[in-house]
Amino acid sequence: MTTATQKSIVQVDLERAARDRRIRLFNKSLDAVLTVVVYAVITFVFFTPMLWALTSSFRTVEGVFNNLVPVSWKTFWPTDFRVSNYLDALGLTSSQYLQVTPWARAFVAFWTKIGLHNGLEVNLGYNLGNNLWISLSSGVAVVLLSLIFNTSAAYFFGRLKFPGKSYILTYVLATMMVPQQIIMVPLFLVVKELGFINTWWALVLPWYASPFVTFGLTQFISDIPYELDEAAIMDGANLLQILFYVIVPMSVPGLVTMGLLEFQFIWNEFFWPLVATQNPKILPVQVAIASQFGQWSIPWGRVFASICLASVPVIVIFLALQNFYYENIALTGLKG
Amino acid sequence: MATTAPVLQAHHDVPWWQRNQTKIYFFSLLFVLPALINFTVFRYIPIIYALRASFWQYSLVRGFTEMIGFDNYVRAVTNDPIFWDALRATTLYVIGKVPLQAGLALALALFTNQQKPFMGLARGLIFVPVVTSYVVVSIVWGLVLNEDLGLLNSILRTIGIPAGDYLTNPNPIFVNYVNKLPEGIRHVVEFILPNQTLATIIGLSIWKDVGYSTIILVAGLKGIPDVYYEAAIVDGANGWQRFVNITIPLLRRPLLFVIVTTTLFAFQVFVPVYQLTKGGPGRSTMVLVYYIYRQGFNMAEMGYASALSIILLLIVLCISVLQMYLLRPEDD
Repeated sequence: MTTATQKSIVQVDLERAARDRRIRLFNKSLDAVLTVVVYAVITFVFFTPMLWALTSSFRTVEGVFNNLVPVSWKTFWPTDFRVSNYLDALGLTSSQYLQVTPWARAFVAFWTKIGLHNGLEVNLGYNLGNNLWISLSSGVAVVLLSLIFNTSAAYFFGRLKFPGKSYILTYVLATMMVPQQIIMVPLFLVVKELGFINTWWALVLPWYASPFVTFGLTQFISDIPYELDEAAIMDGANLLQILFYVIVPMSVPGLVTMGLLEFQFIWNEFFWPLVATQNPKILPVQVAIASQFGQWSIPWGRVFASICLASVPVIVIFLALQNFYYENIALTGLKG
Repeated sequence: MATTAPVLQAHHDVPWWQRNQTKIYFFSLLFVLPALINFTVFRYIPIIYALRASFWQYSLVRGFTEMIGFDNYVRAVTNDPIFWDALRATTLYVIGKVPLQAGLALALALFTNQQKPFMGLARGLIFVPVVTSYVVVSIVWGLVLNEDLGLLNSILRTIGIPAGDYLTNPNPIFVNYVNKLPEGIRHVVEFILPNQTLATIIGLSIWKDVGYSTIILVAGLKGIPDVYYEAAIVDGANGWQRFVNITIPLLRRPLLFVIVTTTLFAFQVFVPVYQLTKGGPGRSTMVLVYYIYRQGFNMAEMGYASALSIILLLIVLCISVLQMYLLRPEDD
């Protein structure tokens, strides 16, 4: 009698379940749509400028600026693909250089032959390869020296006994409160007194030890179980042997991260090399790129190629070791 | 007992400089000495040198010539309008950048902390500007924002908005919009944004740095145990309540860390100003570090530049002390 108008409990349950499922499906698809929207915004904001600079480096200046309005796929895709900008930036199209370097002549001729270079020779007196080499060599030198001296300092703070050690640690950590950018003028005066201004050493010496790296490695070394040291002491190892055979092998992840961050810091550093080097022979890559903007007309093709040459190495290193970066940057808070 | 006697030398037998322990201390000190020399020469002595240079008539060619006491500081505070403009521009830059970057980083951290396909890629995209140099970022954005050759204007023109020069002049659209605002609000906007250039510099430096803050906040989010959220869901808390009552309190330290480090680095802004605006138009983007650079290296007033460095150093030290107070270890 009543069942004709009233729904059974099972029916009510089923309807409620169906409604819940619809709500859940709606929430899920709303979530998916929002995620896609946020992805699109992130890609647009963070990727478009990079992509534009990268593809523009492979085309002529006319190709870049004529395809700007209206914006289409042609703005972002090098329809006139060529490598001339890179040859220019690396100084390979200078006729004086080509006359004395047969391999460069053959190299440029190869690109001309397959149609990716117009064969023009330009005398720009510009060779980013040299600047890249300065950045690379000073970066590697800083990383090696910094790993040697910061690791030994960290070993001192993490393991060795010394009267008043905590005061020495405070002396080191206090330097973290003084940002480098702010003492560039005084640092310049001191390095000038020491006679290193305008030499390659000016790019290396101030950075061969860093309180951030020392502190980070000290924490890393403190986490290594002391039993390992004791075992080595029982075997008759001295302090140096403990450092090399126990501590260093155990702290490889920390050392690699610190080395990477240090290298990236030196590679990207601008203010210090700007004031410390005026000699064009030892300009690091960032300063060399910025110096092109003092001229009457900016050689955009070469600028695009230069910024790609200066950025792609660090970006590739980063992409290869992404998770390494995330874990350790968060741990140490190291930057510069 | 007899076997250990040669190793453990009695203190009164041997003078302290011949004791084994002294030799070990000396050997230990060698490990830290190179680093200590670096910190002394390249971090402490410059500050002492700057203090001295700020109290003396100093030039690169002739060195210290005459003691002038506090003249440089008095000049900065009482007789140098550019210094005050620089302080104003730096302060506006910090006030504009820090909350925006922290807020944006928090939003991006909450988003990229989810388990979804392609999230690693998104995180990578946000982080790529962090590993790129400020010079490259400034050049790329300088060109993107360029009135005639810029990508931004070409996108805007494609959808029918007239071009503006975002780097040196206020965009006419923006000016029109501000002029239509009610009187009171207009003054506030005109006070906060003296012109568009500083806002542009703020924007591009947030674009460059936000990934770094995001990564620290993501690490902080990963440290919050899921149990709390599960318990809150059982208690019927909605997303917003979970965010306010669980995420924010437990993210306090990473958030403070992000805010304080962003503030410290914001006070040191230099490259975008050097590369894009040289302090202009007018003095609207003449930030302190750029002003110090200009005084020291273009005007060859090293003594005055040193005094300005000391002033900025004191400002930053105050913030560092505040940081140490805010991030002090909690006793619990």
